[in-house]
Amino acid sequence: MNHKMLKTISCGVLPLMTLAMVAGTATGAEYYLRAEAFTKNLPDPSGVGTIPIPMWGFALDDSFEGLELQAVSVPGPRLTVPAGDTTLTIHLDNNLSVPISLTIPGQITTKTPVFFTDGQGRQRVHSFTHETPAGNTTMVDYTWTGLEPGTYLYLSGTHLAVQVQMGLYGGVTIDAAAGEAYSGVTYDAEVMLLYSEIDPALHTAVDDGSYGTTGPTSTVDYNPKYFLINGEPYTSATLPMSAGAVGNRVLLRFLNAGLQTHAPNLLGMYMSVIAEDGNVYNFPKGQYSLTLPAGQTKDAIVTPSADGAYPLIDRRSDVTNAGGFSLGGMVRFLEVAP
Amino acid sequence: MRTHLHSKGTQFTVAVMAALALFATDAYAVIDGLTGSTFTLSAKDGYVLGGDGLSIYTWGFADDTGPMQYPGPTLIVNQGALVTVSLKNYLPEPVSIVFPGQEGVTATGGVAGQLTQEAPADNGATTVEYQFQASEPGTYHYHSGTHMDLQVEMGLVGAIIVRPTEFPIDQWAYNHTDSAYDHEYLFLLTEMDYDVHLMAEFGLWDQIDTTTFHPVYWFINGRNFPDTTLAADTPWLPNQPYNCLPRMHPGERLLLRIIGGGRDLHPFHPHGNNTTVIAKDARLLQSPLGTGADLAYSDYTITSLPGQTVDAIFEWTGAQLGWDVYGHAPGDPMEPFEYAPDHGKPFPVILPGQQELTFGGGYSGSPFLGAAGDLPPGEGGLNVYGGFMYPWHSHAENEIINNDIFIGGMLSLLIIEPHGTPIP
Repeated sequence: MNHKMLKTISCGVLPLMTLAMVAGTATGAEYYLRAEAFTKNLPDPSGVGTIPIPMWGFALDDSFEGLELQAVSVPGPRLTVPAGDTTLTIHLDNNLSVPISLTIPGQITTKTPVFFTDGQGRQRVHSFTHETPAGNTTMVDYTWTGLEPGTYLYLSGTHLAVQVQMGLYGGVTIDAAAGEAYSGVTYDAEVMLLYSEIDPALHTAVDDGSYGTTGPTSTVDYNPKYFLINGEPYTSATLPMSAGAVGNRVLLRFLNAGLQTHAPNLLGMYMSVIAEDGNVYNFPKGQYSLTLPAGQTKDAIVTPSADGAYPLIDRRSDVTNAGGFSLGGMVRFLEVAP
Repeated sequence: MRTHLHSKGTQFTVAVMAALALFATDAYAVIDGLTGSTFTLSAKDGYVLGGDGLSIYTWGFADDTGPMQYPGPTLIVNQGALVTVSLKNYLPEPVSIVFPGQEGVTATGGVAGQLTQEAPADNGATTVEYQFQASEPGTYHYHSGTHMDLQVEMGLVGAIIVRPTEFPIDQWAYNHTDSAYDHEYLFLLTEMDYDVHLMAEFGLWDQIDTTTFHPVYWFINGRNFPDTTLAADTPWLPNQPYNCLPRMHPGERLLLRIIGGGRDLHPFHPHGNNTTVIAKDARLLQSPLGTGADLAYSDYTITSLPGQTVDAIFEWTGAQLGWDVYGHAPGDPMEPFEYAPDHGKPFPVILPGQQELTFGGGYSGSPFLGAAGDLPPGEGGLNVYGGFMYPWHSHAENEIINNDIFIGGMLSLLIIEPHGTPIP
């Protein structure tokens, strides 16, 4: 069995795929994710050295408890559902000390919420769907059928206030067809921009067990110090992101897995904002600024007319690393080739 | 009894105007700013006055050798112009300027920064020159592109208006009749975290942490209410030259140019009627090009995002209030743009007696538009044309406060005045 990514043999061949779907044999995309704690080193605000932050993240394996294909990271591995597939299965291996689960807001699936009884005898939701217990020895599956194309987040669906900000999130993309994000929306190049934040105090408290006991009891005092795009804050060593070439239709996929609203502003170019939460707008919006609330995704097309490095800045001024001299945080340069 | 001001003796009007001259002098340009295509901006420090009278250490752009301004000068240019902005820096750290929404901006001189060329902290010795073609009309802004989390907070932000080629033959914001207006007003919305300004004033740079952002002052065009309603260029606000006092006659189209200049979202809430949002980020809300603002929408809480600009049209006639705003008897002649179905309909409230009231300076003594009534000695007088006033403010009500003192902050008043009232 090819564990790397099980797909139908019909992948990419439309007539065959149609046949396969009619025959009911499409198996769709499969991924093996492993949740694990790790330490992330983020820049010290003094500009010298780093600060270790306890994180939870996802790694990509070739099979359940098999070989690691991609080390644990935040955000988790990007899951790309090949064009034409309408089913996604994630097999989950949980190496954390608490039960977790997976949801993809915007994709429809049957959920089986998990409840607990609180101190006053009330039934309360603990998880939006079935959980993967800590240290599971058999894999737990999460399956979505009838996938809709677009840009989505996958997130833990268990104790979200803690688990999502600890790092249990990632991006999943489903294209309508090869090089076509949505029906009729083609692109030549793409850039994925997943926004999130880190409040080191919460991470320390969750890690040392003081969260909910002697430390904070909720995220009400959330005060993020690090502002990440694709898991990293900007530093002077951050390389520009490749964003196609002059004349290309470049798809910018924006996702916000943080708890705060961000305002990406692109300098030097207008975006044609085409979709929100995986839903295509009736008419694209020509803007250089975006609203990117917590949990939302937005897709935009830019068609650069000149080469160069275009700054993309968070206009909420989350462009610092823990209060150090900027530029830091949510900044990237989009490099357009001639 | 209602009394129309314009039917009263001139003696009364002249006396009141001379005494108060608040809403009716020619000192009110509609949107103040610098016109042309070549500008010199100097980044300087100075003090702004909060609405509570507190002096706040602030950085701002000055018009060349002029005083520091908060916000920076509004640059009013014509579509197609090659705009040149020269920057000099008198602040203690490097400064630059970025121009969101402008394409092909070039920067020469100074020192390479991360977003663009910077003017070093050399007391104005170096000049950086930014150039761009103002290719598309609309409402834009500029702000510092250096140490943004501190410098935008400190005040380095300003507005840009690009007049369409149709202007001034047609008083339009864009090259389409859907953007036609009679009066235009700027609403550059910002906020300040006073602690950051205090630490900057004392040079405690190491203690400034912009991630603990906690604003306590909220501004329109650099002023808190009630200072927003004072005249532009008020001598006791030397670093805050711009006011915000929208005025209109019934039936006119008032253009709001709203700019999210700070780092927070400010849901702007005009009372009196809905607005029609026609453009964002200096682009008409349109389906295919050239169709006009066919995707415009009606709104009373206008989302204004940091860095975003929004243009909206406000109209008011008093329609459908269910009573005659002019206090007409059924046989009286109609006023311009009066809502005919309510003509002569009685005011549905029994007015309390004078001794049961306290008075504000804005009350004309009459509930009717363009009318005045008897007032106790020393009362009224700030509303000589008998206008209606509507608060226009941030719908985040905690932002209509001056450092914990209500009422103030991101608030001003729209004054609707009867036809015949001079409005610049």
